[in-house]
Amino acid sequence: MRVLMFGWEFPPFQAGGLATATLGLVKGLLNRGIEVTLVVPFSLSAVAEVPNLRLVSAADPRPGLRSIRIDSPLAPYGGAEEYRVLAEQGTGGTRGGAVYGADLFAEVERYAAIAEQIAREEPHDLIDTHDWITFEAGRRARAVSCQPLVAHIHATEYDRCGGPGNPEIHRREALGMLLADRVVSNSHMLKGQVVERYGIPAEKIDVVHFGIEAPDELAPVADVAVARGRPTVLFLGRVTRQKGPEYFLDVARRVADHVPEAEFILAGTGDLLPEMIERAVELDLAERMHFAGAVKGDEVDRLYRAADVCVMPSVSEPLGLVALESLRNGTPCIIPKTAGVAEVLRHAMRVDYWDVDDMADKVIGLLEHPQLWEELSDGGLDEVRDARLGLDEAARRTGEAYAVALGSPLAAFPSHPERSEGDMRRVMPPSLRSG
Amino acid sequence: MPDICFYFQVHQPYRLRRYRVFDIGTDASYFDDEANRSILRRVADKCYIPANRLLTEAIRRSDGRFRIAMSLSGVLLDQLQADAPDALASFQELVATGGVELLGETFHHSLSALRDPEEFRAQVRMHGAALERHFGSRPTVFRNTELIYDDAIAPMVARLGFSAMLVEGADHVLGWRSPNYVYESVSAPGLRLLPRNYRITDDVGFRFSNRDWNGWPLTADRWADWIAESAEPSVHVFMDYETFGEHQWAETGIFDFLRHLPTALAARNIGCVHPSTLATRRPIGTLSFPTATSWADVERDISAWLGNRMQRAAFDRLYRVGREVKALGDPRRLEAWRRLTTSDHCYYMCTKWFADGDVHKYFNPHASPYDAFVAFMNALTDLERSCAAGRPSRPWVVDGEMAVAG
Repeated sequence: MRVLMFGWEFPPFQAGGLATATLGLVKGLLNRGIEVTLVVPFSLSAVAEVPNLRLVSAADPRPGLRSIRIDSPLAPYGGAEEYRVLAEQGTGGTRGGAVYGADLFAEVERYAAIAEQIAREEPHDLIDTHDWITFEAGRRARAVSCQPLVAHIHATEYDRCGGPGNPEIHRREALGMLLADRVVSNSHMLKGQVVERYGIPAEKIDVVHFGIEAPDELAPVADVAVARGRPTVLFLGRVTRQKGPEYFLDVARRVADHVPEAEFILAGTGDLLPEMIERAVELDLAERMHFAGAVKGDEVDRLYRAADVCVMPSVSEPLGLVALESLRNGTPCIIPKTAGVAEVLRHAMRVDYWDVDDMADKVIGLLEHPQLWEELSDGGLDEVRDARLGLDEAARRTGEAYAVALGSPLAAFPSHPERSEGDMRRVMPPSLRSG
Repeated sequence: MPDICFYFQVHQPYRLRRYRVFDIGTDASYFDDEANRSILRRVADKCYIPANRLLTEAIRRSDGRFRIAMSLSGVLLDQLQADAPDALASFQELVATGGVELLGETFHHSLSALRDPEEFRAQVRMHGAALERHFGSRPTVFRNTELIYDDAIAPMVARLGFSAMLVEGADHVLGWRSPNYVYESVSAPGLRLLPRNYRITDDVGFRFSNRDWNGWPLTADRWADWIAESAEPSVHVFMDYETFGEHQWAETGIFDFLRHLPTALAARNIGCVHPSTLATRRPIGTLSFPTATSWADVERDISAWLGNRMQRAAFDRLYRVGREVKALGDPRRLEAWRRLTTSDHCYYMCTKWFADGDVHKYFNPHASPYDAFVAFMNALTDLERSCAAGRPSRPWVVDGEMAVAG
């Protein structure tokens, strides 16, 4: 099976969990003998902090995987506002001398137009897309090849904005999932939202909890001197409303009152970062709250291992790969009850994201009681190493979703056939093809 | 006809690099050597060297009647010595004409006057020693960092032996009074105050290249006419030296302005005086500055450096860490700390431009004031930890000759 996959983030870049999820999924699929052509947008002239630049170094060839890069300063998780800033900073790429429009939707259109070309050039049996920004690309690709379409949903506009958010993005999310033959959701929580808020039939949605690689032996990494010999509490994630960084600061203030030698690291970047820096000063945490900014490569694992506790106070967390990454590094993690990972993880402390007293209590407990800490650290390690949360399992379940899509009666005919050269092409259902 | 008193400020900070949390405890090079070197080179080529040449010729041609005052910060002198010795030589040649009075300031262009009198005195003495070393002269008139002055600063300056001090001719202090006179400090009788005439200064410093300004294009003759209109004794024109060629590019004609200025002034019988000469004149009255005043922005206060909470938190911590650094007695660490006292670091954390919607108003080596704060605090954490650990001195990256308080 040849999958034409439209994505945009890929390690070593870490804006959030999506890069990790995409890598994990692709690796898992390749292991299962599924050929993957991954289309990723990236910006040629972008600075290191710009998400998509990291994709350039993803050029590292993997057997069976072809990477096709489309130049674009897409930053879907920053939203239209952040995109504007990036464009002003001149971090946008150029392609064929074309000047980019200064808004995200124009970029989405451009990406989709190129997707059409790629669909013509790249042989494939199935199209896979990831979140709203690639849905239009998937739709156009299918209009060309008439192959089945799968939509992965990692997070919705509701999750990112804590409300309805941008109506145009909402519309694109709804349309993308509606047109898809199968929808793959990160968690039951997200599936419920997709059914409730987007009106997608539940029977069209498969739930696949994304796992991560958790080898028995982790490669050693350098420590982080600022945390050396001190109890250290970590927040790692986009510094946006969705991830609840302000709760982390409130927790830090409470923990600092009890554990005077504690240090805090807030890693990541986002629109709330300036506000968080000011808030840290206001809470008199300026000297022990260390802002690591955007972290990449082995810095991520260095932070997890330097930390004694990882706190994930996300307001909304469809999955929450940070928790899995933290556990993989033997660092106990505090997660919101509502996070997708809460559906699969047992060795994590659960809290309400807004209950800063409870979170602080748990952090202090972990810092002060080695037995509790070891229990959660060891248990968490065992859990993320379990096959249930492995890459293969996620790939196997995704493969099942592909199979259903391939057999879908919808797949044989595009739900919105686009006329080209004056007539409608009919395509033989994939199941009837030779081979 | 009034006299005119020129004073040019010459300063470049040691800018911080993006010092990250991962660097704490592993890397003690806080400063962006490469950027600092290349900026210094650019400013030397575009401003210092050509402007020095012009002024040297003007002073020689006028037989010493054209004269100016200058202050070069110690951190600039260190950088010139290390990375642009040709520019340092051109300053020495200019001073050797005898037409330049060098003023005293804090070696590190710091805000220490506002927080740490002992450190303030140490940095002023360091600066005096540096002037002696490079130019063979000792200053008698003082100008504090960014012309920051209040009634509490005056006695410290007077006790250091200075006869006069440059201050901002701020409207909120002067009221109905004119800046074109010599005044006396209310808190340090005997210490003369020379208020800057910001209006006539800004014609050159800010408005020179502004085509929407009705004074454009400004010629030396026209500007000299405006000065000649004054019936008051002395007009005090204080500005950044980087005005020539850096703030106002050569293409604006700023060097032509400077070239013709001595003749234009002489033709109108406007005499040039040094600040120390003005200091011998009888003051017309006293001035009181109850709050700190500077030459910055429309506010003319210290909010550009200490206006927001980040700046104040960083500033408080800086001087707290300073006590530990001094207790350790390691001259290299002390110099690294002193380079952090340079006011520019606080300036980069300023957020008040945001209100004007004019974020890019000033050159800032950091991506944002928040990045500036994070890098600064990280460097301080490293310095603080290294002192607490009492570790032997690591190879601190401090180029050039070590300047240590005498």
